[in-house]
Amino acid sequence: MKKNSTFWLFFAVLVVAALAAPLAIASTFWIDFLTLTLFLAVLGQGWNILGGYGGQFSFGHAVFFGTGAYLQVILQAKLGFNPWAAIPFAILGGIVIGAFTGFLSFRYGLRGSYFALITLAFAEAFRVLATSADAITDGGQGIYITLNQDPTKALATLQFGAGNGYYYCAVIITVISLLIAFWIENSRFGAQLVAIREDEDAAEAIGVNAFKVKMQAICLSGAITAFGGVFYAQKFLFMDPNIAYGPVKSVEMLVMPIIGGMGTIFGPLVGSFFLHTLGEVSKHAAHELVGDRPGLDLIVYGIALVLILALLPNGLVGLIRRLFRREVSRA
Amino acid sequence: MTDKTRINLDRRQLVAGTAAVAATTTLGLPHIAKAADVVKIGLIHPVTGFLQFSGSQCRFGAQLAIEEINKTGGIKSMGGAMLEAVVGDAQSKAEVGAQEVTKMQEAGVAAIVGAYSSGISTATTQEAAKHGIPHVVDVGVSDKIVSRGLANTFRFGPGFGVIAKQGVASLIELNEAAGKPVKTVAIVHENSTPFGTGIAKLMTNGLKNAGFEIIETLGHPSPNRDFSNIVLKLKSANADLVIPSNYYNEYVLLARTMQRQRVEPKAIYSVLGGAASQYKFLKEFPEAAQYIMDCNHWFNPKNPKALEVRQATRDAGKFFNYEVFLAYTAVMFVADAMERAGSAERAKVTEALAGSTWDGHIMPYGPTKIENGQNTGARPLNTQIIGNEIEVIAPAEYATAKAAFPRPT
Repeated sequence: MKKNSTFWLFFAVLVVAALAAPLAIASTFWIDFLTLTLFLAVLGQGWNILGGYGGQFSFGHAVFFGTGAYLQVILQAKLGFNPWAAIPFAILGGIVIGAFTGFLSFRYGLRGSYFALITLAFAEAFRVLATSADAITDGGQGIYITLNQDPTKALATLQFGAGNGYYYCAVIITVISLLIAFWIENSRFGAQLVAIREDEDAAEAIGVNAFKVKMQAICLSGAITAFGGVFYAQKFLFMDPNIAYGPVKSVEMLVMPIIGGMGTIFGPLVGSFFLHTLGEVSKHAAHELVGDRPGLDLIVYGIALVLILALLPNGLVGLIRRLFRREVSRA
Repeated sequence: MTDKTRINLDRRQLVAGTAAVAATTTLGLPHIAKAADVVKIGLIHPVTGFLQFSGSQCRFGAQLAIEEINKTGGIKSMGGAMLEAVVGDAQSKAEVGAQEVTKMQEAGVAAIVGAYSSGISTATTQEAAKHGIPHVVDVGVSDKIVSRGLANTFRFGPGFGVIAKQGVASLIELNEAAGKPVKTVAIVHENSTPFGTGIAKLMTNGLKNAGFEIIETLGHPSPNRDFSNIVLKLKSANADLVIPSNYYNEYVLLARTMQRQRVEPKAIYSVLGGAASQYKFLKEFPEAAQYIMDCNHWFNPKNPKALEVRQATRDAGKFFNYEVFLAYTAVMFVADAMERAGSAERAKVTEALAGSTWDGHIMPYGPTKIENGQNTGARPLNTQIIGNEIEVIAPAEYATAKAAFPRPT
């Protein structure tokens, strides 16, 4: 009960702060920075449900992101769908691909590094498929959503120009993803998922249907990640096989919860915020200290990542909890 | 009366007032004066990530132009306003490029030049359109960049539609002049970005219509670090002509693998070959580079100013590749627009770019005419690596050497 009230307190503060941020921040750059931070936090949450709570480490989560993004673009650009009407299909696409990859992996008992490798292979297979299915995806040339330049049609086209529209959309999907994570932590399904992560054989021995629970987890994870893909498609209005299914997005998705804290509600959000801030600070610091030296900021960023991985096995949320407990016990 | 109107100041108010005046004079006024003297230009390129080499070359070319403009008195119609580069790194990712645009918006740039690749340029031009920033695309060749109705987006160089068309026409001309030694063709193209796939499609259609037989079309991702299988397929296809269309690293690797496996077609003819007309490739792998032909962006070899810029690039220890002279020209194009507009106001610069007839450039282009943001006078040249030089072989008015076709054995 106390744990839940702490969550709702943090959650309320975060939502109020997020909604009020554009009133305090006039800079379009920093609003865009927060938008991308929240977007990656949502993708990280998608990974966290399967990898963090379920212990099924996926190295190819881009397969869900790319499917959601591609469906959102293709349905609009090729079939003339309204962007709002395309969203359910894009999310459904994530669920279907989740069910497909999950069935093939879990049905044959793939675990640990074997599961990680097969997810990587699925993403690569979909990248090749998107490149080859020229008639549907326009291949490597990529596919575009027509740009709306009429501000009165912003909501209808889900394109918000230079205003704060994208930011508020990012806040909404972040809130949804946090509530889903909260539900997982407090549900029977979540308890079963964590039991599988801790010891799958023992969980099965006490009656947990591991296959069913893992299938549900991968479908839910696929849906959230595909939702992230929808956001990307609407913000950048362009998709190609490399952006959709390339390894970059897969890595970004798993780094956020690993740094922030796997299997925690706020881990992906904390990780995304920390990594983005670190990236910007190191870029700025490198520029101030040594001038125009491209890549130096990435070296600093990389070193910081390695140090966090080495020193904070439970991520930043783990560190915050440890410090909080120490303070409480002192008091 | 006097007492009523007298302003009473205590010591604290006096100090605060003095500080405010001092701050205004030492910080505020020079800032205002500086704003009139300096015009900021945003340069967004992928200077890290897999496009790092080309992105860095672009940045160098753009900075070279800015340096030259400033040395020769800045924007004269604006009282000699100096240009200042605000650099951004797209990290070879479209979304990072778009985010850099918002940074440029904050920095108050008058225009943006970038962003090398078609994918990144698509995102940066779109983001710049939201803020009304004029954006000149330096290299990105996808024709979709300038066909989306973005009023802020311009490209001075040619797109791949024009390049592929000339590439096919020149190849037919060369082949006919040599007695039609080439009948079969194999195309090797990168398929990770709009560039390679687009070129492959246009070339396939053009060559089929011209009566060539396309016996193999091989796609590969970018980056790609092993061409053994692709070259084995080329070997078994045994085409008369191989057409590679990919980025620098992949092009070099492909050419070296072909050399190692002794795949020796009658000619290697690229359209926008990543390394086919690159001095770096020629310097590092002269044997693999010999007789490779390319239809690509190239400077006017008969323009003395172009040769001066080439020398300045070499003096700086850089290679005078297409990235350098295209980015250089893009910045000059913006500067010319500012000169004519007499202003760095974004709307005025956009208007001046749209109506540009600039002819003071170093490129072998026809009269400048901007239609939907594209310079319709832009065109590529045909080059061939012969000995230690990259020679222009077509069209005749710019040619510096005769084509070695088919290549000597």
